[in-house]
Amino acid sequence: MPHKVALPYTRYLSPDGQLLGDLPAWADDFNLLTRLYRQMVLTRLFDQKAVALQRTGRIGTYAPTLGQEAIGVAIGSLMRPEDVLVPYYRDTAVQLMRGVRMEEILLYWGGDERGSDFADPAVAEDFPICVPIATQALHACGVASAFKIRGEHRVVVTTCGDGATSKGDFLEALNVAGTWQLPVVFVVNNNQWAISVPRRIQCGAPTLAQKAIGAGFHGEQVDGNDMLAVYDRVQAALERARHGKGPVLLECLSYRLGDHTTADDATRYRAADEVKQAWLEEPVKRLQRFMVGQGVWDGNREQALMVECQALVQRAVDNFEAAGTQAPESVLDYVYAQWPAALAEQREVFLERLARRAGGADHE
Amino acid sequence: MKYFKLPDLGEGLQEAEIVEWHVRAGDAVKADQLLVSVETAKALVDIPAPYDGVVAKTYGAPGDILHVGEPLLGYEGEADAGTVVGRLEGGGASQEDRFFVGAAPSTREHMAVRATPAVRQLARQLGVDVNALSGSAKDGLISRGDVENAAQQARERFGGDRLRGVRRSMALNMARSHAEVVPVTIYGDADLHRWGQARDPLIRLAKALAAACAVEPVLNSAFDGKSLSIKQHQHLDLGIAVDTPDGLFVPVLRNVGQRDAADLKAGVTRLRADVQARSIPPQEMMGATLTLSNFGTLFGRYANPVVVPPQVAILAAGVIRDEPVALNGAVVVHPLLPLSLTFDHRVVTGGEAARFFKALVEALEQP
Amino acid sequence: MSNGTFSLLEAVNLALHRAMAEDENVIVLGEDVGVNGGVFRATLGLRDSFGFKRVIDSPLAETMLGGLVVGMAAQGLKPVVEIQFMGFIYATMEHLVSHASRMRNRTRGRITCPMVLRTPMGAGIRAPEHHSESTEALFAHIPGLRVLVPSSPARAYGLLLAAIDDPDPVLFLEPTRLYRMNPQPLVDDGKRLPLDSCFTLREGSDITLVSWGASIVETLQAASALAEQGVSAEVIDVASIKPLDLDTLEASVRKTGRCVIVHEAPRTCGVGAEIAASLYERVLLELQAPILRVTAPDIPPPLYRLESLYIPGVEDILHACDSTLNFA
Repeated sequence: MPHKVALPYTRYLSPDGQLLGDLPAWADDFNLLTRLYRQMVLTRLFDQKAVALQRTGRIGTYAPTLGQEAIGVAIGSLMRPEDVLVPYYRDTAVQLMRGVRMEEILLYWGGDERGSDFADPAVAEDFPICVPIATQALHACGVASAFKIRGEHRVVVTTCGDGATSKGDFLEALNVAGTWQLPVVFVVNNNQWAISVPRRIQCGAPTLAQKAIGAGFHGEQVDGNDMLAVYDRVQAALERARHGKGPVLLECLSYRLGDHTTADDATRYRAADEVKQAWLEEPVKRLQRFMVGQGVWDGNREQALMVECQALVQRAVDNFEAAGTQAPESVLDYVYAQWPAALAEQREVFLERLARRAGGADHE
Repeated sequence: MKYFKLPDLGEGLQEAEIVEWHVRAGDAVKADQLLVSVETAKALVDIPAPYDGVVAKTYGAPGDILHVGEPLLGYEGEADAGTVVGRLEGGGASQEDRFFVGAAPSTREHMAVRATPAVRQLARQLGVDVNALSGSAKDGLISRGDVENAAQQARERFGGDRLRGVRRSMALNMARSHAEVVPVTIYGDADLHRWGQARDPLIRLAKALAAACAVEPVLNSAFDGKSLSIKQHQHLDLGIAVDTPDGLFVPVLRNVGQRDAADLKAGVTRLRADVQARSIPPQEMMGATLTLSNFGTLFGRYANPVVVPPQVAILAAGVIRDEPVALNGAVVVHPLLPLSLTFDHRVVTGGEAARFFKALVEALEQP
Repeated sequence: MSNGTFSLLEAVNLALHRAMAEDENVIVLGEDVGVNGGVFRATLGLRDSFGFKRVIDSPLAETMLGGLVVGMAAQGLKPVVEIQFMGFIYATMEHLVSHASRMRNRTRGRITCPMVLRTPMGAGIRAPEHHSESTEALFAHIPGLRVLVPSSPARAYGLLLAAIDDPDPVLFLEPTRLYRMNPQPLVDDGKRLPLDSCFTLREGSDITLVSWGASIVETLQAASALAEQGVSAEVIDVASIKPLDLDTLEASVRKTGRCVIVHEAPRTCGVGAEIAASLYERVLLELQAPILRVTAPDIPPPLYRLESLYIPGVEDILHACDSTLNFA
């Protein structure tokens, strides 16, 4: 019998966009809702474009965000510029919202390290995406430790998937966050799938949020496809952390409508019916229906938004294509602050190799 | 401070009441010295000091209950082992630690000679000091050529012309023979008074050698000093030493035993002509199983001719001269042919050589 | 300024005090480093001097420590994390290899990782299992890291300060066997020693002996024994395992023509192999004999009864020198 723990679960909108109860106070700011909606639409269009670019060989493997846009957009819009994001690899939504440029995301997945050298000062301290699962959770604790040591009222938000919560790094991160009461918000994007492994065989606990209890702090669940709920709970979590009340574990329940990555084929392990059912609960349509129901959105505005977003995405693709390729020597230039004199010979050998491949062109 | 804790009192007893202290703070104690008497549920127990030391502090007054493992007494001194595992050795001489960052001065100033191991080996073989050279190749690398040039220059300081061709071969062969062969020479004379008119001693010598080979074949064999193996020849292929202005040639008269004198003579004549004309093919000078040196055509009596491996014997014939000999008690004058037979004593015994020689001379002395 | 004699361990402590006093961004963390001053007392007194925010007793989780310092360093702190024994460093490896060593490169310099990881290494203190590791070769292989092994109090002091200054991640491996041996006079003047450099401990002309860590002791003893036989040995302390100062090693072997490398770590793919291969590339033409390595065999460190068989001894070094000196 699974060990039952009473944890909060928040949802304001039904899957088809109907209000289920009272709205939180901030939600009558329809400008805000429109901005959030617009960002979700932009994210989705960009995400689809990225998948298309991969299919046509213009970028490499990419991890799509399809169906999970609400989580990232909510986080990105609520974090302050001085806060730090420590993401995993399915965070296009939050990265875009924070200020990472679309072309930078394309550069990264397109095999160019410049994609992690974010230009916008607002994201100067945000971490790049992280591949080794759950290791980012510990980095987040390190950043939060720095804030605490320096007495700064800044928050770290770190994201991960449901699979990541099984790893030692994740549990060690929760432990130290709870022990030291670090200003970190752990957002678990529980999209039900870790590649082909479904949630029910990933962990024996009925919720992932309750892992926080073992670490001594607050955990809760939220409907990750309900923008109003996610926005509300992320806001609460950030406030808590920012005011020294310690970490929060926010488990966002969503569904991975796309494949794990562009290299994966989810039809191998998922029933089409299940995916079809999940589409009925997806976040973009849900918010749209609510806004239409409230009379603040319509077909014309939708049309105009699509055109605008498509143009933005196309411009980003153009910028990406125009970025060219880094100089070959760049593989040496950033390994150390300065390439050690002791390794000078290696550098010469490498440059000679470049010259030979280029057919004897000049080199340094 | 180093704690001495109440030790296990045995029989599962966990606590004791302090009855009387026998030491106090400041006392120097020795190992096994009585520290304190305590009372357990069963008995009065005296607790001795575990080791020498000075008491820093005692714990508990008479009447207090202490549990096993609680501090009983503190010794003065460093209690901190400074580790949680193992044992760290301390001390050691307080040394000065002088060091250079990077390379030592002598290292920085050092200039080295650069040559591959192969080139160094060549230098050793040629007797050249590689450290005295400077390299012609890039980076001052010393090449094969540099070493050979140095060797050449050493030779040129000697002066003279380098041997070539036949003279060079002779120098090499003779040196090799000297290094390998163990030569013994027997001297003898053949009395040729029964010969009548003058005859060509060369052909008679050749036939006589063939006859001697039949008696002691071992002198007509090939010997390999490395494997210590011997091959017996079936035929006598006689090398005839021929002196020319260009040097010593040794053409080979094949199968001497089976050919008659006229045939042999024709053969010798042809060989001589070819040698003079320098048109003798190299094969004609290979494969001699035994050698004859008829220096008697020039001057001299006896010699120590040189055995040329893989042969094991060589015969030298000097100038035929009239000599007084004793015959039936009277002195007569006969033509004598001086003979010198050298054999390789690694292969041939004195007896074999003597018998060979005797047969040879008997054959020669026939009319 | 404090004068007097200091052991290697005390030199580390001195350097940490100075680094923390000079730069408030320096944070010391690890298990038992605060109140207890570290199990070897390397961090003794730091908490009293600099407070609990900068000298942190952490939960028992090496992976956590490895990841935590990446985050701290990204924020501009300079974490100096102690991993209690090299035997427990493996849990940090993912963060060292996948993150610390690569953060600068993968963000093109936007985020960097100025961390130092200190750990006691090596055998010879009769410790239980897993407390005698010498696996520096695993880290020497990782691009973007620096690996240092001090062999004297003075070098520990100067190199640790330099390591803390360095804007890139540094592994500082402290030979446990040397912690309390051979104390020497040391001036707390804050002078850094250069990184990426060997140190020549003894100048000589007949043979070059190369070593690092605790094996320096036996190597110097071997050099003295050789001197009595009329052989002049040059002793080089590699100190910077990565990057290797091949220029100094090359110049020395070019001068002497003979080289013996001594390390406590197992033979196969030990750092001695890298040094030998590099030296062959550069000084084949000056060598009088093959380069020999005196190492432990490819075995885990034995439990302490047989520990002395594992560690290269003076006789082992002299035997190798003999072969080298008498080669052709």
